[in-house]
Amino acid sequence: MLKRTLLASAAALALLAATAPAQAVSIMYAEWLASLVEPGIANYEAATGEKVEAIKLPGAAYDQRTSLDLAAGTAADVIQLDSFMVSEFASSGYLEPLTESAKGWDQYQYYMPGLLDVASYDGAVYALPTDTDVRMLWYDKSNFEKAGITVPWEPKSWADVLDAAQKLKDAGVQYPFQLPAGIKQGEGATMQGFYMALLGADVPEGDRNRLLNRETGQWIGDSPAIRKTLELYRKVYHDIGQPADLNYAADPGAAVREALANDQLGILASGSWEDACLWDCNGVNLPSREERDAMVGWTPWPGSGDPGNKATTNISGGWTIAVNSKAADKAKAFQLLSTIFDVGNFKDWTIKNHRMGVRTDISESPEYMADAYLAKATALAADTTGRDTIPGYQTVSALVQTMTTEILDGASVEDTVKNYHDALVDEFGADKVITYE
Amino acid sequence: MRHQANPWITSNLWLLSAAMLPAIILVGALLFFTGWAITFSFTDLGLTGRKAVEWSWVGLENYERLFTRKGFLESLWTTVIFVFFSAIVGQSVLGFLLAATLRGTVSTTRSVVEVCIMLGWLLPDIVAAFLWSATTSQTGLINSLFVVPFGLKPINFINDFALPVVTLANIWKGTAWSYLLFVAALDSVPREIIEAAKIDGATRWQRAWLVVLPIIRPHIATNLLFITIWTFTYFPLIFAMTGGGPGRQTETLALFLYNQSFARGNLGFGSAISVAMLLIVGALSTVYLRMLREPK
Amino acid sequence: MERTTLSRPMAIALAFMAVIWVSPFAWLFSNAFDTAATGRLVWPQNFGIDNFTGAIGGDAGRMFLNSLLIAAGTATISVVVGAAAAYPLSRLRMPGKNALLWTLVLLRMLPSVGVLVPLYFAAQRSGLLNQFGVMLALSCLNLPFTLLLLKNFFDTVPIELEEAAYVDGASLWQIVTGIVLPMSRAGLAVVWFFSFTGAWNEFLLPLIFSRVEAAFPMSVGLYGAFGRMGAIDYGFLAAFSIIYAAPAVGVYFLLRRNMNTGFAGVGVKG
Repeated sequence: MLKRTLLASAAALALLAATAPAQAVSIMYAEWLASLVEPGIANYEAATGEKVEAIKLPGAAYDQRTSLDLAAGTAADVIQLDSFMVSEFASSGYLEPLTESAKGWDQYQYYMPGLLDVASYDGAVYALPTDTDVRMLWYDKSNFEKAGITVPWEPKSWADVLDAAQKLKDAGVQYPFQLPAGIKQGEGATMQGFYMALLGADVPEGDRNRLLNRETGQWIGDSPAIRKTLELYRKVYHDIGQPADLNYAADPGAAVREALANDQLGILASGSWEDACLWDCNGVNLPSREERDAMVGWTPWPGSGDPGNKATTNISGGWTIAVNSKAADKAKAFQLLSTIFDVGNFKDWTIKNHRMGVRTDISESPEYMADAYLAKATALAADTTGRDTIPGYQTVSALVQTMTTEILDGASVEDTVKNYHDALVDEFGADKVITYE
Repeated sequence: MRHQANPWITSNLWLLSAAMLPAIILVGALLFFTGWAITFSFTDLGLTGRKAVEWSWVGLENYERLFTRKGFLESLWTTVIFVFFSAIVGQSVLGFLLAATLRGTVSTTRSVVEVCIMLGWLLPDIVAAFLWSATTSQTGLINSLFVVPFGLKPINFINDFALPVVTLANIWKGTAWSYLLFVAALDSVPREIIEAAKIDGATRWQRAWLVVLPIIRPHIATNLLFITIWTFTYFPLIFAMTGGGPGRQTETLALFLYNQSFARGNLGFGSAISVAMLLIVGALSTVYLRMLREPK
Repeated sequence: MERTTLSRPMAIALAFMAVIWVSPFAWLFSNAFDTAATGRLVWPQNFGIDNFTGAIGGDAGRMFLNSLLIAAGTATISVVVGAAAAYPLSRLRMPGKNALLWTLVLLRMLPSVGVLVPLYFAAQRSGLLNQFGVMLALSCLNLPFTLLLLKNFFDTVPIELEEAAYVDGASLWQIVTGIVLPMSRAGLAVVWFFSFTGAWNEFLLPLIFSRVEAAFPMSVGLYGAFGRMGAIDYGFLAAFSIIYAAPAVGVYFLLRRNMNTGFAGVGVKG
């Protein structure tokens, strides 16, 4: 009896798999982007009369599956990718350069050049961004008042931030300054925490405030900026006594939300999405604008305060959609891509989901400007930068997270930098690693 | 005991070989893939990017780094503690005590206890991780039942006692296997022998120690071997609960391996870690297998 | 066999332990029945069964069938292939066969993430990137344990019975199907059960091997609760996992009577 049901369902599956025509354009995307991709697919099918083979994947292990699929040549024709993976895959020859196809598409001109850079490799664009983000310091207003700190809070240097954190701690706030650290949150710790501090830790000349010298393509294995940033982590987690557990919770986002709800949170280093995510990322049980503004505020990340350093810092990421270099019909694949990003669908999605726009025809539209928060946050994007998206970034990012892990464990800055330098040399060779005195 | 010349066996050698064929093919495939994993440990194979395609041989470099770079030895120690307390002490001893207590009884209590420990075993790892994080959180069950009512400040268990918490969660999750095995093992001890020992005046302790334990020695060893292997490589629960943190407090070898292979993307080094794990457990298991043999 | 009864204090102690053991499930149920679940342990704010209707709606039916197919298929292949090889292994005298089996079990220690890449490439070349490929790959990974357990189990079947049957004129086939298999039913049940639950919970392999969404099992659906920036739909997660764990619990109850005797065969000899 059981066997027969099984056979029947196996047969049904075989049929299902067989009905998809061989030439259909296929697309792979993560479940959470469905609200952008699926209307696009419907529009494409309506316009061309052809079926699209859609493969919606869970967000978990999404990167693993796409990496393996691209390496084995079994990936879909159109693929959603995290922007920092683009150069990695492009350098392996897995992606199709879009510069040529995009010339014939009238909406391509509206993409902000800085954001296309993030999805470029060797001068060619390999993917189109879906949205972007900016990063800042969020703070709980009631706890600031309790600690006797003026609101709105406008720190001008790291000393101001540490001073506020110390006051919050003294006022009994359990998590005075949640500065993302450790390997569990992956890119979150690198971007929301380490890199935001690093950018303000030294002068921008010669990329002294970065992980990579972009001129020579060498990774920076040791620099005053790296040491200063680690020193900041040490002060936050050891001198002030920020507990480490939020970085390692089963669900870090929920742990932060719970801390906020229990009035235990002081400052949180995070990004523009927190406008919704501090309560509910899906935007379902969101308090009103006024209620949210009464509870929390945000301020740009200040630089360290030393002369010549940036006054405020910012770094942006985001997701993209690309075309597989092994796609059977690349013209059709690009057509699907541009249908998804067609202004009607794209603008709707951007505004409805409060995303930060990546195109001027969307971000300068009256509907977009009407959202006061987005408009203000987008102003931060005027002075932003991207990650060091050359192949190997993912590895370096993991090593950076490991550095913060070691500081949390109580290792000295000296030992931590030495381990980092050694690991970089292991991965890239001594000629690809430099030291700034 | 076994006769070599079992005629129904010897006259059907071909048929039996044919029956073994599928297993031989699958085992061959397994060995082949294992061979790859071992080969990778001598390369700098990457997960993505250039080194995923153009890897090169690096000799024993990956193995040297197990000892010269930070991480491996620290994780090994964490793993030893985790395996010892959660598998050997926790699951085995608790499983044995439960089995010994419930042996031969037919009661609702027994059914209830069995179902309870089985539920832990059957729950998906990821859900078990959320369950335990919620239970040990500052507003969770343990704090609201045992800490706050006594006028104490809620304890931040994951921050202050990460390794004990994941150890406890793993005992909760995995005791079912040891329990089932020991129930079966104790049932295989002939009652007459115990009765005889009782008549000879052996105390309860002497009966357990001198009569029952020697008989179930093979079961104990098999159990230890299996749970050691499983716990040594057990990944999802800790990964979801703490991701190895805070700091490196719960970074067992399985997590270290994952972080090096996937977060850092160095499959070559990752393979070297897994080969080292294999050798360590291989050495441990020869100790267990010696326990399996009857004392001369 | 005589039956003993528990003393009253012991029964109370055990009941207490059972309560402690199930208490973490409070979280699961409070979130599953809370339509505004936040992942905290609180009494449901908006009591309702919407999470369950959400969890069984959509593709859940198809995912359930896929899971059943993968789990039952893997378990059956493992038992059939394992038993066919374990019987000769048990009956033939081969030098070092125990050492060989233990070595195989040890080799399985190499984490499956390590063999994932070569495994995937091989499956792709041989056209096995489908449900059958998943079953085969999982059976392959299971086989060392299966072989060892079944061989140990067949060792406990008294050879005298087979001898008697042979003297009565039974063929090998009749001996195996008439004596050996029925007598090892419990052992086969144990191996089937553990292969079944193992395959039921497997996430990464089916996710990567299934080319089309229509082939995803429930374990993949479970991860649908995880959104962007770590946004998790706890109500869905809790309700889905209750439904997800139910079949494995059901299979356990079906096979429970066999478990005890089945496990007796696990530990014999090295």
